[in-house]
Amino acid sequence: MTGITRRLFNTALGTTLAAGGLSSGILGSWTTPALAQQGGASVVTVATIGEPPTLDPVGTTSDLVSIITQHMFETLFTFDGEWKLAPLVASALPQVSADGKTYTIPLRSGVTFHDGSTVTADDVVASLDHWTKASPRGKTVAPLVESIAAKGADAVVIALKEPFAPLTALLAMNNGAAAIVPKSVIDGPGALKSLIGTGPYKLLEHKPDQYIRLVRHDGYASPAGTPSGYAGSRKANIGEVRFVPVPNAATRVSGVLAGQYQFADSLPAETLPRIKGAAGVKPVIVKPFGFPLMIMNTKTGVMANPKVRQAVLAALEPNDMLLAGLGDPAFVQAEGSIYAQGTPYYDAASAKPYSDHAAGKAAELLKAAGYKGEPIRIMTSVQYEFLYKMSMVAQAQLEMAGFKVDLQVLDWATLLQRRGDDKGWDAFFTYHTFVPEPSLITVLNPSYPGWWDSPAKKEALAAFNREMDPAARKTKWVALQTLFYSEVPSVKVGEFYNLAASSDKLTGYTPTPWPFFWNTDLKG
Amino acid sequence: MLVYIVRRFAGMMVVMLLVAMVVFLIARVVPGDPAAVMLGSSATPEDIAALRGRLGLDEPLLTQFLLYLGQIVRFDLGESIFLNRPVAQALAERSELTGLLTMMSVGIAMLIGVPVGILSAAKRGGLIDQTAVGLAMLAASIPSFWIGLTLIKYLAVDHAWFPVAGYGPPDADLLERMRHLVLPAIALGIPNSALILRFTRTSMLDVMSHDYVRTARAKGLPPLVVVLKHALRNAMIPILTVIGLTTAVMIAGAIVTETVFGLPGVGNLIVSAVLRRDYPVIQGALLVVSAIYVLINLTVDLLYAVVDPRVRY
Repeated sequence: MTGITRRLFNTALGTTLAAGGLSSGILGSWTTPALAQQGGASVVTVATIGEPPTLDPVGTTSDLVSIITQHMFETLFTFDGEWKLAPLVASALPQVSADGKTYTIPLRSGVTFHDGSTVTADDVVASLDHWTKASPRGKTVAPLVESIAAKGADAVVIALKEPFAPLTALLAMNNGAAAIVPKSVIDGPGALKSLIGTGPYKLLEHKPDQYIRLVRHDGYASPAGTPSGYAGSRKANIGEVRFVPVPNAATRVSGVLAGQYQFADSLPAETLPRIKGAAGVKPVIVKPFGFPLMIMNTKTGVMANPKVRQAVLAALEPNDMLLAGLGDPAFVQAEGSIYAQGTPYYDAASAKPYSDHAAGKAAELLKAAGYKGEPIRIMTSVQYEFLYKMSMVAQAQLEMAGFKVDLQVLDWATLLQRRGDDKGWDAFFTYHTFVPEPSLITVLNPSYPGWWDSPAKKEALAAFNREMDPAARKTKWVALQTLFYSEVPSVKVGEFYNLAASSDKLTGYTPTPWPFFWNTDLKG
Repeated sequence: MLVYIVRRFAGMMVVMLLVAMVVFLIARVVPGDPAAVMLGSSATPEDIAALRGRLGLDEPLLTQFLLYLGQIVRFDLGESIFLNRPVAQALAERSELTGLLTMMSVGIAMLIGVPVGILSAAKRGGLIDQTAVGLAMLAASIPSFWIGLTLIKYLAVDHAWFPVAGYGPPDADLLERMRHLVLPAIALGIPNSALILRFTRTSMLDVMSHDYVRTARAKGLPPLVVVLKHALRNAMIPILTVIGLTTAVMIAGAIVTETVFGLPGVGNLIVSAVLRRDYPVIQGALLVVSAIYVLINLTVDLLYAVVDPRVRY
């Protein structure tokens, strides 16, 4: 600051307020400005997109909840920098029986909860049992579970009715999480009675819409090994991580530029030049991050006809949609493979129809499908502006190909409700955050709105889920993706990346879809 | 006067009951489901239905309404679905911020609007009057969110004189929290100062054309005494009315300002509750805000009698 210093300005402001008649008692406390406190060495303030709906990580798959709660709660396993499974509360990867039905999971000794008690095999059994009842992810496993039991004091055995390869990935996810909690805080299938976990940070205070304060768990027992992704050694160098909900994206940008926040998540792509040009702040681009989807109703209405859905795929030009939605080519990639390049399940060949777009071809498919000009009801929401912009482009492109489109702009809560009614819509726009395990992708779940559950898909998904060998799983995933592009339950618009910004003083930060702040430090 | 106040309070109860009914119905008629919002976009309809059952949202609408009415007559606003606390507690936690913000912005609007309005009337047709009227028109036309973003850019980001957003760190004292409200109060106060300015000017011009003002001038009283003692007191009723209305408008305006400045006030609570379909919070907050509107109106009416002895109830 030039000319007038902040100290001088504060003094002047204080004097003005004093002249305005404020009591001397109040004035006596005019001491430390908030900015100086927040910039203190042991507090990292993180601006998030809003207030999380809950801090119980088991019952929800909300990304915002996982970003915060992964500091407090830990799972048996996690993912390393290459999205491979790694132990966390477990001491090693599970021993799986030859028939793929029995998982023996050894536990680390000396792991303590935030209340000081030590994690026992009983706590783990109770936590996993709770997960199968309370978590959307756990519930998908529940019908396959024969039993969950302790094996001595330091191991747990999960017996399945049939092989289910995604089990370990589901156990490692940080949302809908199989969080290890004390048996005493579990209350049937309901929310946890108390937010006590084993993570490097514990909850100090939660003031909804104001802040969530997590402080270092001094009794934390870290896993061993070099840090990689979410795996390896975890050190809580920062004394307090404070998550502040700031729903307005422009305010998040201003706050990180002004030094009020040391990290700001989910920023508009167009603010990249401003962040690049600012002193003391650096942009963070997260790749892979997610993919927008146009989900189609495969159960009822005009879209139940696969030829109509194929026509939609042919009519859409994903690159136009991506650029309209995100604006900056640096943040998008027209990529048809459901898994992006560089990830283990990437396959371009089976995604070829993604790039075979042509309005003429779409018109032919529509004719063959017997389409009679029924309006296609597409739901979208301005609450996710990039999705709204994409849906506008989609509307134009579909109309050019001969579709009649009824674009319904709704608020997000309304869209979430309406999509449950299979007679109320034909397509909707949403996005999917990167998930390391393919079977976690929502459109593969037959209960998920869109209800893709053809006999061929059912068989291909079951074969994929039964397969334990990683190489063979890849082959079976390719078969599933081939089916995705022939039955077209959804259109994957492409890849998009997340922009965040971090203070130069924040060191050791690893860009990930769910940002974490252990192993980071604050300079100066 | 006492009879009048009792009668007004009885009327207020009826208004509140009607508001409660209308808000309940609107909240339920608008589509959207708190269970779906809470569970995230990956949730399946089965998960949502199970949570709806736990929250009691699958009860018939009439049952829900009767339960709600039963709560209201016991002065119980219910329990928030998302915040894990009673609605009354959530509102109480936010009321300090919104109360302070409203007072500070009304103060700013009055400090600008009333004196400039008086000056403008006293210098009618002159350069000061024309400039004031022109600036008032400009101020009234600029949306408070734009003023807010501009203030953030220049006074918070470029110069770091004020915090960008929030209501201070956990250990902030009252003065520090007020410092966080200076920019929002300016953003909210400036557009409203224009309204007060124009009302003050019009009211003063009206009063100053009366015979008693002319008499006061003819007696040789100093112009300042004529304007402030003789004219202003009689011009106060419309000015008080507009200040009262402005205060009520500011509570609504605070919704936008609180969002821009990331302030956890009542406005922010209402916006979040609407987006999440947190029915008890929507209902409780709107009921309380409506009660405040009615109370402000009552206060303004009672103040008429204070500033003008001719007014009797």
